[in-house]
Amino acid sequence: MQSRTAFSLAHDPEVAAAAIVAGLAPIRPRLLVYFASPVLDHAELSARFKAAFPAADCIGCTTAGELVSGQMLKKSVVAMALPVETVAEAAVAVVRDVRSGDALAEAIRSLEATIGHPLRTVDPARYVGLILIDGMSGMEESVMETLGDVTDVVFIGGSAGDDLAFRSTRVSANGESYEHAAVLALLRPARPFEFLKTQSFVNLEKRLTPTKVDEATRTVLEFNGRAAADAYAEALGVPREDLATRFMSNPLGLMTGGRPYVRSPRVVTESGGIAFYCGIREGIELSVLQSTQIVEDTTRALANECANGPVSAIINFHCILRTLELEQEGQTEAYGRVFADVAMVGFSTYGEQFVGHINQTAAMLLIR
Amino acid sequence: MSGKIKATIDQIVRVRANGDNVRAMMTATKLLLKGVDPEAYTAASPDDPVVIAKLRTIAAEWGIKL
Repeated sequence: MQSRTAFSLAHDPEVAAAAIVAGLAPIRPRLLVYFASPVLDHAELSARFKAAFPAADCIGCTTAGELVSGQMLKKSVVAMALPVETVAEAAVAVVRDVRSGDALAEAIRSLEATIGHPLRTVDPARYVGLILIDGMSGMEESVMETLGDVTDVVFIGGSAGDDLAFRSTRVSANGESYEHAAVLALLRPARPFEFLKTQSFVNLEKRLTPTKVDEATRTVLEFNGRAAADAYAEALGVPREDLATRFMSNPLGLMTGGRPYVRSPRVVTESGGIAFYCGIREGIELSVLQSTQIVEDTTRALANECANGPVSAIINFHCILRTLELEQEGQTEAYGRVFADVAMVGFSTYGEQFVGHINQTAAMLLIR
Repeated sequence: MSGKIKATIDQIVRVRANGDNVRAMMTATKLLLKGVDPEAYTAASPDDPVVIAKLRTIAAEWGIKL
């Protein structure tokens, strides 16, 4: 039996959950993954999904837009039911306070107790981790770094959103809904799995080195020993007052293996610094990027994956900045169609997780 | 003196990856995200004690004996 997706545009959690449960039939999921606009009562939605699928692990979060096979949606609920033929084993734990190292350690111990092994010894070729994390916490780097320290299993996921209100996000697990929290799921897929991390940028070969950084606020005070905004504007060849208009098309990239881990600037501060949507390390050189075509690039990246064999399920963590760019260019329908022929569920995130915390990227888990 | 940083990075990646190329790439990315860029150092790079100390800390966190 194959994974199956469903969605609902209803804002009443009872109506939406019922429509999705009906749409997922006859699948009996081992894992249910759902993403919902905050216009729906997330606690009630979570409880209804768990009641409908008591034998499944059910995880989800609030969003800034939703994706489902063939469509990009707004103010909806999307879900994927993954049967035991796709996910053989799952362990779910909640980090009840993402600001607490103890809470993260407790969640890790919970995962280890469920699977019966220390995470350090778990085979990354057989297991994959999912993470859904509070997108307003600013704690993604810290949580991902800790996970990366204790295991070689790759955790992939997204920062929960709240339809661009930037007030409060929620994650949920097995019928309960949480604020200031993260959900970790350790999965043993029954089929081969891969990752697709795609971002639509080229490297302009212009480099900026952060020489003074306030890591706690993700703010670069200086690049190359100068006020960050001045150096960034000069690298782009634009007046400093125009710099912010170029943020979406010209973010920075932490380059590894020739590919960027994108760091997206958020705002120029009063002192001429630049606050980012993810953490920047002092002394680590960044490259100035130039945006390319999201639809074409993603089509090509997915086609390359599909050339290696069919894909039965995709969980897609898609940056809200990509969504906004697609909306500006009137390409949301075209982007949705990229995934018309595959079971895909995803959401517009406040940041993506793949080994670390990144921006302006689509980070996808592909199950064959 | 030179080359110690690259040698230490190579040792950390080799131990953590255990012969797996994908894991080696992930380990290099983790080092980069922690503030040490593996691609920035060669055998001719000076032995910066700050970077070496950082690598020792990372190795200890990962349970790797240098």
